Parts: sequence; C-alpha cells; structure tokens
Amino acid sequence: MRPAQGGRALRRPGKDSTVLPEIHARTPEGDTPERTPRSDLSRRSVLRTAAGAGVAGLAASAIIGAAGPVFAATAGAARRAGSRPRSDHATAAASGQHAPGDLVVHVRDAGSGEMDVFTGTSQIRLRDKDLAARLIRAIG
Amino acid sequence: MSSHREAPEISQDPVADSTDLYAFVSPDRHDSVTLIANYIPLQAPAGGPNFYEFGDDVLYEIHIDNSGDGRADITYQFRFRTEVRDPDTFLYNVGPIGSLSSKNWNRRQFYSVKRVEHGEPKMLAEGLRCPPCNIGPLSTPDYHKLAEEAVHHLPGNMRCFAGQRADGFYVDLGSIFDLGNLRPFEQLHNQFGMHIFSKPAPGVNATNRMNVHSIALQVPISEVARHHAHAESQPRSVIGVWTTASRQRVRIWDADHGKNVHSGPFRQVSRLGNPLVNEVLIPLGKKDRWNTLPPSDDKLFARYFTSPGLAALLPGLYPGVFPHLAHLVKSGKPRVDIEAILLTGIPAGIIPGFQNHTGPVLADMLRLNTAIKPASKPNELGVVGGDLAGFPNGRRVFDDVVTIEVRAIAGLTYPLIDKKFSPDGAASLVTDGLTRASVRAPYLSHFPYLGVPYSGFSNPS
Repeated sequence: MRPAQGGRALRRPGKDSTVLPEIHARTPEGDTPERTPRSDLSRRSVLRTAAGAGVAGLAASAIIGAAGPVFAATAGAARRAGSRPRSDHATAAASGQHAPGDLVVHVRDAGSGEMDVFTGTSQIRLRDKDLAARLIRAIG
Repeated sequence: MSSHREAPEISQDPVADSTDLYAFVSPDRHDSVTLIANYIPLQAPAGGPNFYEFGDDVLYEIHIDNSGDGRADITYQFRFRTEVRDPDTFLYNVGPIGSLSSKNWNRRQFYSVKRVEHGEPKMLAEGLRCPPCNIGPLSTPDYHKLAEEAVHHLPGNMRCFAGQRADGFYVDLGSIFDLGNLRPFEQLHNQFGMHIFSKPAPGVNATNRMNVHSIALQVPISEVARHHAHAESQPRSVIGVWTTASRQRVRIWDADHGKNVHSGPFRQVSRLGNPLVNEVLIPLGKKDRWNTLPPSDDKLFARYFTSPGLAALLPGLYPGVFPHLAHLVKSGKPRVDIEAILLTGIPAGIIPGFQNHTGPVLADMLRLNTAIKPASKPNELGVVGGDLAGFPNGRRVFDDVVTIEVRAIAGLTYPLIDKKFSPDGAASLVTDGLTRASVRAPYLSHFPYLGVPYSGFSNPS
C-alpha cells in the first residue's frame, strides 16, 4: 500500500519533524477481497470517540487529550480520502447519513501499532506503536 | 431455498439477506427488462407491531455487467430512510391506511435510487415512498391501491417499486434439507435404512404464505445493454445481473441512545446471481467468503460448479435410480454443462436459437439475452422445457428453478457438452413436487409481477 497524501503532513504530538511512518488511505472501492481483510471488532479493540455521544466515557476523553492532534489530523486525512472520486460504494457513502465528527479506532495489532480509523463512510489504516500503546493503556 | 438464509453470517442479518433475484424481458413491455431483488426472508405476515422493513443502514444494489468481465458496468443503488410520525404510540398505524400519505400511518419508509455507470453516479430519484406491510382489513383495507401508489415512474421511462410482496419462490425445504429427500420419490430414498416412506407424497411449499421485501426496477433495454441488439445471436444482447447488500464496516451499540451507530466504508455482506448457487453448490466453510466477493472472483469457486456435491450424493441417496450419473461422477469428468449454465452462459450453436454467453470469465450472474422476447405460453421449466425466455435465460418470477437445477445436476444437461452421454430416466422426472400453482398469491401480469403480500390478519389461518 502507498502512503496517503494526508500522512505526509502528520506529526507525532510533541515531537518535531517526525512523520508518522505508515498512514494509508484505504480505498473503500469495490469488493476486492485482498483490499478488505475481515476483522473482528471487540470491545477491547474498538473505541468510539464520538463527541457528545459518551460511548467511551472517560477513556475516550483521556485518549482525545493525549492524542488529540493525531486524531484531528487523521480524521482530516480520512475525510480527504473519502472525498476523492472513486467507486460506486464510496459514491453511495458520500451521501451517507453519518455525522463527520464520529470516529472509531480499531487497533488491529497492538504489537505493530496497526490500526484502522473510521469516520463517516471512510477508513484509513495507520501504524503507530506509541499511539496504540497509549490507547491500550487508556482503556485499561 | 434460492438464497434465503443460505450462509451462516448472513442468516443472522435478515434485512441484508438477499433471497431471490429475477431478470426478464418485461412480458407487457418488450423494450424493457425487469430486475427484482428480494430481501428479508421468510416473513411471517403477522409480524407486528414492528412490521418488516428495509434496513436504513444497508446499501442495496443491483448490478449489471454488459461487457462480460464479471464486474459491474451499471449499478442501481437503493438507500432507505425511516420516519416515525408519533414516537409516543406503540402502533404502526393508528387507523386505516388509505393512501401512502395517510396520517394514520406512523412508521413510513422512503428511498432513493441512484445509477452508477463506470463510477459516475447519478441520482435518479429521492424520497420515493414504500408501501406499508399488508396488515389486515382494518389497517390496509385496499392493499392493491397502496401497492399501485408505490409504483413510481422515473425519468427515462423507468418504473420502480420497493416494498413487501408475496414470496414467489417455491421449494420444499422441509424435505430437501432432511437429507436430500424429495417427497415425490421418497420411497426410493435410501432412508438410511429406517424404512419410513413406502409411497410417493406431494411436495410441501415451505415459503407458502410468507412475504419478502422486493426492490423492483423496470428499465429500457437500451439503458442496460451495451448496444441494444435485436438479434439473439449477438453477444451484446446479453447482460449479467446480480444483487448485493453492503454494510458499513463498523457497527457499535450506542447504549445511551438505544441504537446502533455505523462508521466506515460499505462492504459487501450478501450476494445473489443465479438461484441456489451459494445455497447448494458452495460448501459451508466458504459461503460467508463467497458473499463478500464480486462475480469476477468466482474462478476461486469453479470446482464446486464442475464437481457439484449434490451430483455425487444423488446416486447414494437414491440407490439404483441414477446409474449413469454415478458413472459420470466416478469418471471425474468436470461438469462443464453446469459451469456453462451458471458461470459463463451457454454459447451459440448448442441450443438452436439461443445463447446467453458472456465470454470466458467465470462469474455467477443471471444472464439474460434481452433480444429473446417473452414467451406467449411460458413454460416454468424454462430452457430445459423448451421455453427460451425462461431460466437460465434470466429468471422469471414463476420459473421452477429448483426442479431445473436439480435435473441439471442429475445429468439432464450434460449432453449439451457430451452428446454420447445418456441421462438417467429419472433426471428428466426428478422434482420436489411443486409448481407455480403452489404459490397461493397469484403472480401479477404487470409490474412488479410478484403477488400481493399475504396479510397478517389472514395468515396464518
């Protein structure tokens, strides 16, 4: 997978000039299986940080506090990825009914820091061991 | 069943579960094709107070391949939106529903139709109204009128309908999934040595008096065929059709608000082209995977078509009834006839006056030769019954696809690719004992062709 444009602009919070190494715009196009690995979402690995929804409660607040800039940038990248002209599925997604403020993180592999970030009808994959570790710590 | 509850995962998700797909040249409008995708299987008509409805969170699609690559050239997308007039009543309706704008109807559903051609979307209509479910004589006193009102005329000489209909598919599930029993021949079944059946019995329609939710679209042929061809021999006259349902990748229960919330891109969870493919041909461990893939990937499953498990089972289940089939299975020769019928279409030159071939790409699609006009006297056995306008040339609402496919698997169609093969006599007789007459709600002669849904008041009775 190739790095997305949005990834090149991202910085780790509190560290100068450190580009997040692997942020991938996922193309929600088509049904190609190789691009759509199935994953099982669990209460432990999925954290919803919907502003005002309070689903993740204190944990979400803590994470937003710790990783706010990353999440904001990630959401922006996801939105940009979602706005590109693409497949029929994404086209449908563009008319989706989801508020853009909702964000879901699925830590696929805490060891490697691989995680998917969902917002609206878009998705990106990024790899950040530190962020994954902070997320895991935050939810205990 | 054609595709009702055909795979473990989708059986847990009825609103996204496709049950049947139909594609045929409209019998009352020969310049158009009718495409119908049914969802939400086995609806008990009396299923109130929360009657059945499409999923607002599901992306429903009907795809058309007119270039033979097993990928969609044209897709029609349907998204639904539910509105509740009065959340303070427990009732679906608070009085008779005399029209789709009736204020007595509390929980209404609307939908949009979008056409996507080669990635370019075009909204065809928004805010289209679904009819209510058929509740009973007090709530829906004139259901015909409601359903007629829900047939929408779209720009481009199209018609569209989305809502409840009677299930037109007929099948004796109770016997077939009781270890391959077919009641008309049950005395010939090996019965696993239990000697339960001594004489034939009539089939029992397991979908009798049950409803589904249909998405029906009538489109000019010129809108879906690559170039509208008037000769059946021209490959460009053939279209491949399938339906899918997709969900966003993430669903989370928002306990504070008592509802699910969704996020992420849509991913396919259900697929249906030809009837009974995922149901009968694809093995249990691969059914869920199959549902996530496009037809263009069906080469991954080719061996289940060329070596169908049911063909191997029949000679054992019915000892001495299928000796030629047993010999064919033992020979290991691939069932290229099944592959052609379901994955490539039948090439020209095999059946006089017929072809629905889309090329070498193996893809499970309903293949419809749009240049073949509807039969004046349709035979529900379709092409094997001498009616070239029926399954597997597309599929009409009344086609007996169970009998057709069981007979094909039993060897009836193998002579299409090997003229020396002589099918067993039983191959042209085997059936689950049902016909279109087994469906109590009469099919309509006009759009949307499936019968008026059974009402909750009268069913069960």
